Amino acid sequence: MKTSKGVKRRRVEKDGDAVVATKLRKEFGGLVAVSGLDLSIPKGTLYGMIGPNGSGKTTAIKMIVGRLRQTSGGARVLGEDSPLSARLADIGYMPQEMAIYTDLTVSENLQLFGSLYSMEREAYIKREEALLSMVDLSERRDSLVSQLSGGMKHRASLACAMIHDPEVLFLDEPTVGVDPELRVGFWQNFADLKARGKTIIITTHYMDEASRCDIVGMMRQGKLIAEGRPEELMERTSTSNLEDAFLEYSWRDSV
Amino acid sequence: MKWTRVLAIARKTLRSLKHDRRTVGFLVLMPLFMITIFGYTFGGSIKDVSVVVVNLDESDGNSSAAEAVLAELRAGGILKVERVYLLDPETDGYLGATDQAALVGSAVSEVESGDAWAAIVFWGNFTENVAQSVEDIGSVPTGGPGTITVYIDASNSNIAQAVMGEVRLTVQEVVVSEYHVLPPITVAEDRVYGEGAEFIDFFAPGVMGLAAMMVTFMLSIISFVHERSTGTLDRLLTTPATEGEIVAGYALALGLVGLIQSTVILVTAVALFQVQIVGSPLLVLLIIFVLGAGNQGLGFLLSSNAKNEFQAVQFMPIILFPSILLAGVFWPIEAVPDLLRPVSYFVPLTYAVEGCRSVMVRGWGLGDVWLQLAVLVGFAAVMLLLSALSLKKRR
Repeated sequence: MKTSKGVKRRRVEKDGDAVVATKLRKEFGGLVAVSGLDLSIPKGTLYGMIGPNGSGKTTAIKMIVGRLRQTSGGARVLGEDSPLSARLADIGYMPQEMAIYTDLTVSENLQLFGSLYSMEREAYIKREEALLSMVDLSERRDSLVSQLSGGMKHRASLACAMIHDPEVLFLDEPTVGVDPELRVGFWQNFADLKARGKTIIITTHYMDEASRCDIVGMMRQGKLIAEGRPEELMERTSTSNLEDAFLEYSWRDSV
Repeated sequence: MKWTRVLAIARKTLRSLKHDRRTVGFLVLMPLFMITIFGYTFGGSIKDVSVVVVNLDESDGNSSAAEAVLAELRAGGILKVERVYLLDPETDGYLGATDQAALVGSAVSEVESGDAWAAIVFWGNFTENVAQSVEDIGSVPTGGPGTITVYIDASNSNIAQAVMGEVRLTVQEVVVSEYHVLPPITVAEDRVYGEGAEFIDFFAPGVMGLAAMMVTFMLSIISFVHERSTGTLDRLLTTPATEGEIVAGYALALGLVGLIQSTVILVTAVALFQVQIVGSPLLVLLIIFVLGAGNQGLGFLLSSNAKNEFQAVQFMPIILFPSILLAGVFWPIEAVPDLLRPVSYFVPLTYAVEGCRSVMVRGWGLGDVWLQLAVLVGFAAVMLLLSALSLKKRR
């Protein structure tokens, strides 16, 4: 079959997308949480979703990973429509509410997720070691999660989402309550993952963090008001930081 | 102590109740529910206990003392005479048996199979012996007393007591009203099941089932409310773990919890109270395991209707009271009032208690309690299936 070059190239690009959302919409009763979200995030991208509380970031991610049923529209991850089944093994998801078992130890939580992803024993042991040192919890591996500080819980939760070295990682506010020094370490790790071809979608409200992303999507009232590389966004708004850029885009959106 | 602050705390507490309508409803309806169900079940007395009668008494018609006693037993309401075995081929109840032993044997086998609680045998010459004993009063007895033997299934001590009491009382009443005196009459008790059984033997299987049910249900509903509110359930479902795997995993764990608990109860009951376990303890544990798995499913299903642990706890009495009162744990189902008796047969615990009691006291095997086990397996299967299906539904 003959296809024009342009069409063919677009298809190749589409295959290269880790996450695609098409007119994704969610209503809770009369409240519109996400209104017609279009996303296409290429593989190997570190994507930052920023926006204030209630802008629809968490709802969008929950629909993409298949934990919320969309009102209309659709989402695809690694070529599979949400809700995922075959591709579940290739994604990692860290919900905002941490969602780890506080009545288990850090290591027991990791073991649970390792087993759910059917990891081999040896690979698991290595991975656990590496992750615990990344999130700086090696010393606390046998502590009950309920006895950890808020930041530590977040780090344990992050480790659980990464235990199986997923292709696509969804992190909902992963750095809340993490101290600045460790946060730098986190971003270094995200950069390393990206270098290995992994895709990472992060929601955050720390604007300075968002500048470390390849692409930033700014959300307001359930829709994307701007998207692009951080420097592009600042350039287009003639601002010197993302916070001001966001305020400028918000103002334009509300006019 | 400053009263304004006390009032502030009181007001805050009542206000938070006001925001939870279901709790307010619960506070009003729960006592109503409790007093109704307690009132009805405590008010009930044992009745309609299935028995069979063997009448070997040779004098028949109006002069037969056995017939007179039988008529009174039928009228009494406590016993329900399912069948009367007779030796005389001319009568309606004739079953073709030619000798007394065979006749008594087939009546007793109805008790052995659990179809009847007791076989009441009036031996030959019953009327004659009673009449003779009346004449002999005040002098040396010239013959044996009138004799009735009750072959009884004493696996349920309440029922055994009720049957024996009813037979003894009725015989006395009938004879006294006929002769105006009370001669010696023997009402012998011959236990088909429960030889040497005491109340604790009847009690232990019920308590075991009840304890297993309470704990598995409670753990399940609280765990799942927690899983839902902390987001871990959502997270589990973003891993390759399927809904069925999650539900089955929980059922396995809580079934085991029920098992461990039952083992503790069994061992304690045997060590401290010398409770007898005539049948296989493993079969008892199997029954408890299946009960535990089913209650896990029930807990899961109800957990989706509870927003928090507090609302989850409200389901406890709703599930527990019918089980405690109607499942035959403390008193037999025969003592449950007619109005509520159908409910007994919808309470899964009924079958677990019946199954455990049959194995422990009657010594029944898998072939005898298959029905109870099948009902429990069905209950567990339906609950777990519904749980998995409800997990599939997303908001």
